[in-house]
Amino acid sequence: MNRVLQKLSLAFEELFIFLALLFLVAFFAVTADNFLSTGTMAAILTQLPALTVVTIGMTLVLISGGIDLSVGSVVAVSAAVVGVAFTVYELPLALAAALGILAGGCAGLVNGLLGSYLRLPIFIVTLGMLEAGRGMAYMITGSQTMYIGPDIQALSLPISGLGVSPSFLIALSMVILAQMVLTRTVFGRYLIAIGANEQAAKISGIRTEPYLAAVLVISGLLAGLGGLMNAAYLGASDPNAAIGLELSAIAAAVIGGTSLMGGRGSIIGAFIGVLIISVLQTGLAQLGVSEPFKRLITGLVIILAVLLDRWRSRQ
Amino acid sequence: MTNCIAIRGLGKSFAAPVLKDVCLDVSRGSIHGLVGENGAGKTTLINIVSGLLDADADADAGQIELDGKPFGVKTRREALNAGIALASQELSLIEPLSVAENILLAELPRNALTVDRPEVRQRAQGLMDLVGLDEVAPESPLENLTLAEKQLVELAKALSMPEANCRLLILDEPTSALTSPQADRLHEIIKKRARDGLGVLYVSHRLDDILAVCDTVSVLRDGSIALTAPCGSLGSDDLIRAMSGEDLIVHGNDSPRQAGELRLKLENVSSADFPEPLSLECHRGEIIGIAGLAGAGRSELLHTIFGLATEREGQVTLMEDGMEISIDSAGAAVKNGMALIAEDRKSQGIFPGKPVSLNSTIAGLGKLGGALAAIIPRREQRVSEELIARLKVKCEGPLQIIDRLSGGNQQKLLFARWLEAESDVCLLDEPTRGVDVGSKLAIHEHLRELRDKGAAILVVSSELEELMALCDRILVLSNGKAVADFGRGQWNKESLLAAAFSELKGERA
Repeated sequence: MNRVLQKLSLAFEELFIFLALLFLVAFFAVTADNFLSTGTMAAILTQLPALTVVTIGMTLVLISGGIDLSVGSVVAVSAAVVGVAFTVYELPLALAAALGILAGGCAGLVNGLLGSYLRLPIFIVTLGMLEAGRGMAYMITGSQTMYIGPDIQALSLPISGLGVSPSFLIALSMVILAQMVLTRTVFGRYLIAIGANEQAAKISGIRTEPYLAAVLVISGLLAGLGGLMNAAYLGASDPNAAIGLELSAIAAAVIGGTSLMGGRGSIIGAFIGVLIISVLQTGLAQLGVSEPFKRLITGLVIILAVLLDRWRSRQ
Repeated sequence: MTNCIAIRGLGKSFAAPVLKDVCLDVSRGSIHGLVGENGAGKTTLINIVSGLLDADADADAGQIELDGKPFGVKTRREALNAGIALASQELSLIEPLSVAENILLAELPRNALTVDRPEVRQRAQGLMDLVGLDEVAPESPLENLTLAEKQLVELAKALSMPEANCRLLILDEPTSALTSPQADRLHEIIKKRARDGLGVLYVSHRLDDILAVCDTVSVLRDGSIALTAPCGSLGSDDLIRAMSGEDLIVHGNDSPRQAGELRLKLENVSSADFPEPLSLECHRGEIIGIAGLAGAGRSELLHTIFGLATEREGQVTLMEDGMEISIDSAGAAVKNGMALIAEDRKSQGIFPGKPVSLNSTIAGLGKLGGALAAIIPRREQRVSEELIARLKVKCEGPLQIIDRLSGGNQQKLLFARWLEAESDVCLLDEPTRGVDVGSKLAIHEHLRELRDKGAAILVVSSELEELMALCDRILVLSNGKAVADFGRGQWNKESLLAAAFSELKGERA
């Protein structure tokens, strides 16, 4: 009997914010006239993939006890690389896409090596990469938005008959894959252990450096993928893309129950956090709420989520 | 003489009783020495009297009077207001602040809203001259000072309380980093303060200092006062005998057992934390105890062997089936069968907020293969249920969060972790500290079982009884050096204690 209760309470963590999401949807369905229309849903789903994949990486980094502030800039770098490779160097689209993702991985590798092997504070390292990455994005694009064209937009257009885009399917499979890695592999278990108590992890024989470096590489690769998705959504490489995205990703992770102190978090939860932010943004827009007021409400929701989380963990 | 502080029947338990029926009087105008082994309860007693532990809420029994009135101090601030000055062993200093600000931190002089810098400087300089901090400027940041200078700052800080307000001065190991002239100077200061009517409680491991300075000395043993006597009538041998307990039963001090083949070999091993090279051999089926006072380098030795210390020199070798495997990192140590249970369970042992299952299986995951090897929840549950049953851990099941368990059961889970990793070279640092008696016996039983199955075990413990009951050999460290190595049957508590103190006596000659 006890075990059943414990299992339920473990599942409850995600159930709780899922209920919050349903409540939000119900609220907008009643108050906004055509919130439940296919048009609204399609709008939400096309914007979602880039934030989703970036949030997956952020959540993994937060669970390991770190933080990655560079993801927004890395998205812009990746988008710029895709654009230049495809339009200027006329490489095949698949190769250009791979180069963009790889560029993100390189940024993550630099973060990871500096943060784990040279033991620099990861907050500062990724803050530096945030600035440097944005500079690189401007340099690669010549500070211009580069038009890429309809080829790449196919990624973010709904597949006929299915109603969702390839980008969305990729993001969704990444969520499932990352959740499996986190909960069902030794790698994931070690990340949780390192985040919960790094000293105890070392004493348990875990070499922490490679894992801490790897999680930042993963975050970089996912930000690279996010850059590709961003370029597909816009049909262009915008060096100003994804400014402040790191904060949205952190907010989504935290709403989803991830601890900024490390050791605790869930990819599914973070994905629901992304959905909550997107639904909130779209719903408020449909209600005709002004931009400043939207941001105010989003901020309050983030704080409310942490308060609820604190209350929940005391129970 | 009137009593400055009178402690009557004080009792205190954490997981296990720490203080039992302690009676201690410090008279006005006298210096009262307090000695005892590690874990005898000195720190807890000081914490209660100095307000770091809430006397009313935390003490389980007894009463304390200060100047004949009930004590009733709940915080360090209240204790300061009541006139209790403390020079702590763990220096209570703030590195980035200046020396002067550190000294006067409790009562920084101020003009209206801002700190009165000239006044701070002047008053600090006076105190610095008093304790002999001649080569340091009041403005220099504390972090630039040597350890000895910091200790003098800590003393100046304790002496900064105006003499009119000060009732009791507590000094906890005040001379541990000082040279002989510095210590003599300190002793002159406190003797003068005592003549002026102050009560002083002087806690130290340096028995010669105690005998030279104090009027009366009390010996704390296992949380009780074993002896209180005027210093004039005592020698350091008397104190050591009182600390060790004359009524002790020599447990398990029977004939030597036959050890198995060589398993762990250290050759001139040293590190940044353990600078004196050490060689040691530990065989299968052998338990080697490591004794010594706090700060003797016991934990540092274990961390050095395990590969956690920096700048390691020398060779740590594991022998297995005729193969010699050199150990250079904690990862390699664990992979080849070495285990470490560190001293501080909370910061170095458990994964807080995580279930029993993760906590018990984490070290064994390396066996599963690469980082992407799958963890199957059902198998993990079964493995942790088996471990819970084998070590008789009292918990609701593998999914319970480890923080909810008692200290003893958390400690058993750390053993479970290494059992699952199939370790057979165990480095254990205070494996039974702060656990209840039942768990302690269970852990001892488990260690004997491991030994009989052929494990090589090193145990650090501050409890000599524990080492004498468990070990085949006891290595004694004093001040970072291995000073003695006793075989089973060759030791008694007095000889162990004398060895542990040996490097402290001669150091300042």
